[in-house]
Amino acid sequence: MPQFLAQTLNGLTLAGIIFLVSSGFTLVFGVMRVTNLSHGAVYLLGGYIGYSVIGVTHNFFYGLAAAAIAMAVFGLLLERTLITWLGRSEMSELLATLGLIYVIDDVALAIWGGSPLTINLPGILGRSSTLPVDGIVYPNGRIFILGVSIVVALGLYYLLRRTRVGAIIRAGVDDREMVSALGINVRRVFSLVFMLGALLAGFAGVLGGTVLGLYTGADSDILLFALAVVIVGGLGSYEGAILGSIVIGLVDTYGTAYFPAVAYSILFIPVIGVLLVRPQGLLGRPTT
Amino acid sequence: MTGAGGGTSTAATPSGGGAAAASRRDQLTLAALTRSRRLTGPAAGAVVGVVLILLLLGNGFTSTLVLDMLVYAIAAMSLDFLGGYAGLISLGQAGFLGVGAYGVAIAEVHAYSPWAAVGIGLGVVLALGLILGIVAVRVKGISFVIITLAMGQVLWGLAYQWVGLSEGDNGIPLSTLPSIGPIDLNNGLTLRMTVLAVFVVIALLLTTITRSPFGLSLRGVRSNEARLAALGYRTGLHRYLAWVIAVFCTGVAGVLYVFVNQLISPTTMNFSANGLFVLMVVLGGLGSIWGPALGAVVIVLFQQELSLYVSRWQTLMGLTLIAVVLFSPGGFWGLVRAIGRRRDAVIARLQRGGTP
Repeated sequence: MPQFLAQTLNGLTLAGIIFLVSSGFTLVFGVMRVTNLSHGAVYLLGGYIGYSVIGVTHNFFYGLAAAAIAMAVFGLLLERTLITWLGRSEMSELLATLGLIYVIDDVALAIWGGSPLTINLPGILGRSSTLPVDGIVYPNGRIFILGVSIVVALGLYYLLRRTRVGAIIRAGVDDREMVSALGINVRRVFSLVFMLGALLAGFAGVLGGTVLGLYTGADSDILLFALAVVIVGGLGSYEGAILGSIVIGLVDTYGTAYFPAVAYSILFIPVIGVLLVRPQGLLGRPTT
Repeated sequence: MTGAGGGTSTAATPSGGGAAAASRRDQLTLAALTRSRRLTGPAAGAVVGVVLILLLLGNGFTSTLVLDMLVYAIAAMSLDFLGGYAGLISLGQAGFLGVGAYGVAIAEVHAYSPWAAVGIGLGVVLALGLILGIVAVRVKGISFVIITLAMGQVLWGLAYQWVGLSEGDNGIPLSTLPSIGPIDLNNGLTLRMTVLAVFVVIALLLTTITRSPFGLSLRGVRSNEARLAALGYRTGLHRYLAWVIAVFCTGVAGVLYVFVNQLISPTTMNFSANGLFVLMVVLGGLGSIWGPALGAVVIVLFQQELSLYVSRWQTLMGLTLIAVVLFSPGGFWGLVRAIGRRRDAVIARLQRGGTP
């Protein structure tokens, strides 16, 4: 039982990281209909940048901030150049961002090398404490990651549901033409959402670097998680990203713990189940 | 062209000497162009065929390179059949190549004869295609890409993690290849010619299917599914069949892959490999079958030749894909087609009696 509880906590930590990545992915798709396959590569790049900044400043939080800001700027540039040039063709954007993965991965390989790196958490976050239940000894860092992702999730929820910007973004998901017709600068909304997505991915890269590590291929691993999340939760749905992340995080962790030989494939069970029963995802809307 | 101005007005009833000369010249041009339209395809095919056979006769690095190109080209053409004609771009193609290859290798590990192993490999890939197709073709467009990507990653995950079955990261070597009578695939030259033959058969099969009524209605399903459905076509079944054909042909490429390399490991089917097939297709030209074969040639050259001289060849490859998407959506084959279209336009004008 204690082992199961610890695994559940691990699963929720993983869910937190996956959520940070998939929420950006799903928002960008929801508002702009852009499938950014390089989202995983942005996550990994953010992690690497965080690693280097921490190496120089010896401050974990500077690294976290630097990665988030750097990736936000990168996201803005990407949206203003490549995505704009492609002019709203879904498949071209998908293919171009696929090409971008090779470029980002290769550049990262050239700068940071091929051996896996791990980011160490500072001070008390790097230690473990005994939980009040069953006397489980659990790393503080994972609790920290879980807490941070819950705070971000609530913050994003507030942004989307309670602010004017959020209302515009949600309206953009529903009917882009109408939002534009109402005199709102949709271009600016697009840039904002794309930046936000990249920022979250870079932020997640540093957090993920502490527990999952940074290595060649980490980007496609996290991308698969994000894709599984959006299939389960519904492409474009924010609440779906939360629900999907919890499902995928737990399924992957239990799978790795109890069925290591097929862990990666067990992820596919919820994905297939949802596709058969509800192809648009649990909280997604049917495509017209 | 002198006298061309006069030719335009009097082409229908040539009377003047200058106009008659122009009209005669036009007719010669027309004949030459029509002949070129009829002969270019077969001539190019014959030249490429002879070059391939000559390259494959040798036993060195070049013939290995050509062999790799042919195997990848089969997979790329299958993917193009699915992506270019059914409109379903799959990012899990390397996974099915891996299934075909692993099927053969694992069956041989379990002491099946080489021929039985080939049967098992192809059988597994066909069964998997039939089953996964039920899920995959329920969706289209972006969702299809995402789902096939997930499938490809899962297949890779099985190869990587299920060590008991797949030997994990080390991969499985293949020692004995099948033989029938005098045709022994363990002989290098025989194997190389067999791969070429299979390539030709699959290429002709796919081009024949795309020109068949089924291929035409498949294109209809891609461009306007609602209309085809209203006309009574079973559009879902069309997509399903296209999927099964593409998966099976990719499985055939997988069997050849393990014959040629005598080893199959998870690297062959990782995310990067899945992307490479899409790259081949887009680079070569979506919806042309021959274009992606050309794309496979270019990508293999990138991978195995350029990588010797340029350490950042992956960056170059990614940028090439972005550039093609941005500037030449039709790929290489788009350029070839553009030339063909111009010739057709000239022919049509000459046949109407105008000047080129």
